[in-house]
Amino acid sequence: MIQLTIDGQEITVPAGTMIVDAAAKLGIDIPIYCYHQALGPLGACRMCLVEVEKMPKLATACTTAVSEGMVVRSKGPAVDKGRRGVLEFLLINHPLDCPVCDKGGECYLQDYTFEYGPGNGRFQEPKIQKLKDGPINEFVLVDQERCVLCQRCVRFMGEYVGEGQLLLEGRGVETVVTTVDHVPATSQFTGNVIDLCPVGALLSAPYHHKGRPWNIEREESVCPHCPVGCTSKVTAREGRVIRMEGRPIPDREWGWLCDRGRFGYDFGYHPDRLLTSWVQGVETSAAMATRQVGQWIQETINQDGGSAVGVIMGGTHTTEEAYQVQRFAREVIGTENLAISRSEAGYLPRALNGTFDDIKKADMVLLLGSDPYDAVPVVHLKLRERWLRYSALKVIGIGPTRLTRDTLPGQDVITAPEQSAAVMALALATQRPEDANVKTLLQALGDFSPSGVSPETLTELGVQLLGAEHLVSLWDGMDPAMGMVLAVLAELREKPTPILPTFGPANWRGWERAGFSAHFEDLTRILEHARDGIIKTLLVFGADLMNEYPDRALVQAAFDRLDHVVVEGVQPPEDSPQVDALLPGATWAEVYGTYINMEARLQVAMASVQPPGQARPVKTYVNTWAHILSHPLAWEEDWEPFDEDSGELLPLHPAPLHVTPLKVPAAIDGDMILITGALIWEMSEPSEILLPRIPALPGRINPEDAKNLGLDIHGGRMRVSQGETSLVTGMSLDPRVPKGLLWLPQRMPGVNTLQPGPIVLSLAKEEVTA
Amino acid sequence: MKPEWQEWASQAKAEFPQANSALMPLMHRIQLVEGWLSDETIQDIADLMGVTVQYVESVASFYSLFHREPVGKRVIHVCVGLSCALAGSDELMHNLEKRLHIKEGQTTADGAYTLLEAECLAACDKAPMTQIDLRFVGPIRPEDVDTLLNKEVPS
Amino acid sequence: MTQHYLLRNRDVQDIDQFDVYEANGGYAAMKQAFETFKPEELVAMVKKSGLRGRGGAGFPTGMKWGFLPKDGRSRYLVVNSDEAEPGTFKDRELIEENPHQLIEGIIISSYATEASEAYIYCRGEFRRGAEQLKRAVKEAYDHGYLGTNILGTGFSLELKVYRGAGAYICGEESALLESLEGKRGNPRLKPPFPAVAGLYGGPTVVNNVETICNLPPLVTYGAEWYTSMGTDKSPGLKIMSVSGRVKRPGNYEIPLGTPLRTLIEEYAGGLLPGHTVKAVIPGGSSVPLLMPDQLDTPLDYESIVKAGSMLGSGGCIVLDEQVCIVGATARLVKFYREESCGKCTPCREGTYWMTDVLDRVEMGKGEPRDLEVLADVADNIAGKCFCPLGDASLGVLVSALKHFRHEFEAHVAEHTCPMGARLYDTVNH
Ligand SMILES: Cc1cc2nc3c(=O)[nH]c(=O)nc-3n(C[C@H](O)[C@H](O)[C@H](O)COP(=O)(O)O)c2cc1C
Ligand code: SF4
Ligand code: FES
Repeated sequence: MIQLTIDGQEITVPAGTMIVDAAAKLGIDIPIYCYHQALGPLGACRMCLVEVEKMPKLATACTTAVSEGMVVRSKGPAVDKGRRGVLEFLLINHPLDCPVCDKGGECYLQDYTFEYGPGNGRFQEPKIQKLKDGPINEFVLVDQERCVLCQRCVRFMGEYVGEGQLLLEGRGVETVVTTVDHVPATSQFTGNVIDLCPVGALLSAPYHHKGRPWNIEREESVCPHCPVGCTSKVTAREGRVIRMEGRPIPDREWGWLCDRGRFGYDFGYHPDRLLTSWVQGVETSAAMATRQVGQWIQETINQDGGSAVGVIMGGTHTTEEAYQVQRFAREVIGTENLAISRSEAGYLPRALNGTFDDIKKADMVLLLGSDPYDAVPVVHLKLRERWLRYSALKVIGIGPTRLTRDTLPGQDVITAPEQSAAVMALALATQRPEDANVKTLLQALGDFSPSGVSPETLTELGVQLLGAEHLVSLWDGMDPAMGMVLAVLAELREKPTPILPTFGPANWRGWERAGFSAHFEDLTRILEHARDGIIKTLLVFGADLMNEYPDRALVQAAFDRLDHVVVEGVQPPEDSPQVDALLPGATWAEVYGTYINMEARLQVAMASVQPPGQARPVKTYVNTWAHILSHPLAWEEDWEPFDEDSGELLPLHPAPLHVTPLKVPAAIDGDMILITGALIWEMSEPSEILLPRIPALPGRINPEDAKNLGLDIHGGRMRVSQGETSLVTGMSLDPRVPKGLLWLPQRMPGVNTLQPGPIVLSLAKEEVTA
Repeated sequence: MKPEWQEWASQAKAEFPQANSALMPLMHRIQLVEGWLSDETIQDIADLMGVTVQYVESVASFYSLFHREPVGKRVIHVCVGLSCALAGSDELMHNLEKRLHIKEGQTTADGAYTLLEAECLAACDKAPMTQIDLRFVGPIRPEDVDTLLNKEVPS
Repeated sequence: MTQHYLLRNRDVQDIDQFDVYEANGGYAAMKQAFETFKPEELVAMVKKSGLRGRGGAGFPTGMKWGFLPKDGRSRYLVVNSDEAEPGTFKDRELIEENPHQLIEGIIISSYATEASEAYIYCRGEFRRGAEQLKRAVKEAYDHGYLGTNILGTGFSLELKVYRGAGAYICGEESALLESLEGKRGNPRLKPPFPAVAGLYGGPTVVNNVETICNLPPLVTYGAEWYTSMGTDKSPGLKIMSVSGRVKRPGNYEIPLGTPLRTLIEEYAGGLLPGHTVKAVIPGGSSVPLLMPDQLDTPLDYESIVKAGSMLGSGGCIVLDEQVCIVGATARLVKFYREESCGKCTPCREGTYWMTDVLDRVEMGKGEPRDLEVLADVADNIAGKCFCPLGDASLGVLVSALKHFRHEFEAHVAEHTCPMGARLYDTVNH
């Protein structure tokens, strides 16, 4: 630790800390443009000049590491003149079009000029003219004239994200930030440069000219689209959400968002949004619809008892909303048939749940079926940051496709579909054959040997699994057996073995906390009971079961048989004539509440806007029904899902370990086999802003297969058939997918009409004729 | 992409402990035969080097000797450094502009010459200095435009 | 007139050919170094000689070599042949005319610093220089002076010639390394210094061509010989490039401490007939002017600093009474604007601004307050840039504003160039 003095105040910080960061700890704000803690020092803008005793010149606080006994002055005539000079330089070629700049009012060039800058301009020569409002891609605009060349954007995309799609072109005063020849940047993370840009050079295209700082409101929020739960801010104007920004949290979050999260905020304004109530296909008033549903529930209770009602939670509902529904279900209806809408069968006990902090300590990362870039994008950045800082980081992908990437390199153990859990167990057995749990796992496997994975690979994997100091696993939750193997692994290792579940829905942990079962079996049981006529009325909150549940046939059968299917949501479920009542719900921006993310961390999101039309929060429906059922619920004090503050982790409860023998993976025969996985772009809520980026060719197929099947090298549309069912979708060529496999996003509409396993692929008709 | 470029790229890469160092040598070699680096050439170079087009573009645009526009058969650089200026390089440039009917930075209509400024060429003892295709030719007095234009240089 | 060492063979026909070089005593020092010195003894000898880097900063070469960490990582020697500082042309002569001397110096230096790979970063415009070097390097390989196990000594060295592509900033050592790694030539943050993390992150010595060319004579004649020339703190010989309004512009090897007047009047033959010195830029375009009354300043690092300027790269530009100082200054500042890499604000924007104002003043369109603005902009650049290029743009300007303020004022007052635009007369304006 190093002790130094800044503006007369003493502080002790770790060696290697830069003066800016030490000053920030004292609450001393040193102006910066180019510096960003995540990106490291650059020293380009020269805004952060400070005086350091014994140094002949002013020093840049962002590049000067602290040293023992250092005396720093962040103010004073020399510093002030230096800063004024730098600002004046930045302004000479700046267009000063603040009145029409989206950044006006939230711009560091304005702020610092106000604070430190020259009062008037002395520059009389013509300013250099550059490109204005050029596209970086569908979401981001660049105004090169406003750019202060801090390089944050270029360094973020290039060094940090590893997708160098922005570049500096030219030299000296002619330097500009650009993409190549207007090839749009395709990275998942481009929107972050808008937040990073200290001036109005990089702008959000959908927010362009939509608001000024004095007529907008910004509320703290959490991105509801995937289990990462990125901390964000929602900007609203006149009751409408018009922007999402990242929200950094000191020492925890940089405030990165993926483009899907940042720009997908418009689902509340989608033309399909449910704004009125429908009963049996007829539009009706909210009061009528609610009353009708209340009567159905009453009838079901009267005829078959409360347990004939099933309740399923989904969508973007908060933990509190789930709690309200849960109390209504248990206390008023009297049913225990509560489940969460799930797409994957796996479950992770809280006790095994790791945090993002674990990634910062990891020496080894296992990607178990999960490609974080596709499934939980911002976690990909966290992993990458770890790798950038700790180059010895071992990344191992285990699954039927390659899971490591150029931007997160490592080693892949490619397993046959559904054999990953067995491979893991066998790898453990190479090291600990005598362990009782391992033995139990292997008990039924007999002489099973996994396809394509050599004994040497198993041994090597086993050594690594047990040798790693801090082993972080990202698990896609597809195969429950893997959950068991992970529990055994954690038990076996005496060292930290945190697991991060990458499966959804985003707030499943919150709903579980509120009293819903997150076990897939419970969801399946409810649907089966519905199909079998045991459950008569199903209340579905937010979920789109037809697309979310991995077997559409079961949902279909259940809906066909149910007396009443009631769906509350923001969007009407696709093509479901069996739905008896549709009740318009509120979006995440329209309620105040808590989300619990994949770290089991509680995070509060404020309400930014009012629900439009007849849309209303869940509580309203629940209260009305409770009245109808003559059992009003008392909400004396609002239930809080946690005792701690926002940002705390859910309390830990030890989970007992139940180990059962792994089943011998069934041999899958077929020339082409379908596998599915998570793709952030295909996760629920439709967005018009995102439309241009929704992959046109979401399927992925090995280039050799593609060639053999006659597919163009740029991809194209193909028919995927399985028995009677078939689906036509776009395919792209992807060498990460092994031969003989077809990968489809599991949540893409229609995919769940097929089942993972053998399929037949053929060119779609229009491709053949073309 | 010319067939031999592949070979050039592997040769260049083999020279250095890290392949990226081969980028500029490869650009030089290709530009020597192509005259300039077109968008397609930049794309080819990116493919050969296994880096992004953006990267190649960014590097190419930093260095003044990489041409991103077509150039004439002969590229004339006139040094405008101080020592050459003291010896009349401005006048030389002016005379060349008049003679070639172009402005500095341009290429003659027949594609014969491109006329460019050079910063100090490190040949101030022979001011005013010029280069044809990066071969030193000088001193060239302002009135000796023809000597310069007729000068044979090895390619 | 004097001893010639680095330029001693300049009149030998075909000295650039291996055989001729060797026949004239070439590569003897290399062999001597292998036979009689251990690497650390060579470093000690260079330290003792007091040889200072000839690239501009004058940093003691032996000390620089001593900074290499002894951690077993393989080391690089990078020779800076990016010579582009206006007025400087010594390295070009050294590589074009006598490439083997440099190669011999590189072999000795690499042996001394225990570098197994060496690069010559050759300015992109030096097409012939690069060709000469490449050919000479090949000859040296063919004779077993480069490659593995050189002359059975167990010492191995790979030497490659790398061409820049037109960027003055790549003369700055860390920008040079970036460029050598196939990147834009932006200077790097220091620390770490190249000695610790240089080329490809490895320990690296960057030295100027002339610096390295000193090694063969140093080995042959020894440190005492070296310190017997020059001054106490600036021992030895230095090549000065003289250009501008003198009779015999060219490279001259002088013992350090030789008076500026001697260099101009004796070596360079004095000014063109009928002309007098107005000012001298003694060390390349980045250093302040020396005035006629300072012509007796000895040309060594300390004396020049005392006189208010710097020895720099030794590019001595002589201005006579016909030269318009405003025009000359504008020309030099424009150079820095063209060559600013654009990374840091004061250099990028400041050189742009100053150039515009200077051009305007030179054209007679200046206003009185322009001179204050110029001085203040210069002050806002001074000491605030990422690398020394920004400050380099100020050397001539600030001293010109001081010594020739009247000339600037006259431009403004008379709305024209009072010198009859000696520099700009014929064209543009
Ligand atoms: C803008 C700038 C340009 C430079 N150009 C050169 C150059 O062309 N040649 C050179 O040897 N050193 C140049 N230098 C100095 C180098 O950074 C470095 O100090 C030198 O190569 C070290 O060699 P030496 O110790 O032998 O002098 C330049 C420095 C700066 C800041
Ligand atoms: S566009 Fe913004 S972030 Fe990028 S360099 Fe310019 S000012 Fe910096
Ligand atoms: S913030 Fe320090 S130089 Fe930019």
